[in-house]
Amino acid sequence: MAKLTPRMKNWLEGLGAHIGTATKKGFPTVIVIETAKVEGDNIVKFQLSDAQVDQIKQNISENPRVSIGPGGLGCIRAAYQFKGGAKLEGKTLVVEVNEIYCTKPGPEAALRLDVLPYESAVKFESTRWKDTGPPK
Amino acid sequence: MKLTKEMISALKINKPDDMVVYLTTSSVNGNSNTSPQFFTDVYMDEFILMPDLFALKTKINLNENRVGIVTIAHPAEGIKWAFKGPCGHVEWGLPDNYDFQGIKAGDILKKWGEWSEREAFSGLPEEIRPTVIAQRGVIVLKVAECYSFDANDSGKKIL
Repeated sequence: MAKLTPRMKNWLEGLGAHIGTATKKGFPTVIVIETAKVEGDNIVKFQLSDAQVDQIKQNISENPRVSIGPGGLGCIRAAYQFKGGAKLEGKTLVVEVNEIYCTKPGPEAALRLDVLPYESAVKFESTRWKDTGPPK
Repeated sequence: MKLTKEMISALKINKPDDMVVYLTTSSVNGNSNTSPQFFTDVYMDEFILMPDLFALKTKINLNENRVGIVTIAHPAEGIKWAFKGPCGHVEWGLPDNYDFQGIKAGDILKKWGEWSEREAFSGLPEEIRPTVIAQRGVIVLKVAECYSFDANDSGKKIL
């Protein structure tokens, strides 16, 4: 099971995310949410507008897999991609993250972080980024 | 579909990381991938170009499912565009006359195949700068649709 680090949680909660969904035949749609709430080790909740629900509900109903990139400045500074299964509970998109990738451009791009021991993942990010979340 | 002047101005080469986007693709069975792209340019007012720098999963997806979505990530204020359309990658080694959606590989690689000659990668902040530059080609998205990702208008067509 994937376990998000405090830094990952801070960036997702601070600046939200770009969320990729797709039909089961691979036709993608993206929504952008400006904040999130992380619960436990790997549950991320996004509050959607009516328009956002309408945009993705068909995709989620036929294919729950989503991909997530941290929003805003997180695109640059929080070089992670999260993947997992999603469900809609009313207007809340609930994502259970089960894969975490590094997206830092270069030879570490696509390195899978959730398969590392948790302490190694924390050490990995502490040696690459100085911050622990988005600027206040 | 031609982009507006405002869109072209935002997406064309200016300075490193002035405009950062996400490119979302999907496998043919619906496994999406959302990857950051630090460099963009615009060709013929309707093609968004991005250098292929270690775009591993993106290329796997594009090899089987040639569609993508570019969303503006940073700066986010007031620019809430999503561009969707046929997406492919023009790799070094393809014949000059290789055609993707009406553009030729030779024309693209001659001008953008060595992106660092047009836009210095050294201008990127150290913590996101690639330690090795190994550009394999250029990712190309032909804009067929543009929609808003503003929460209240999400999915509403702009173009």
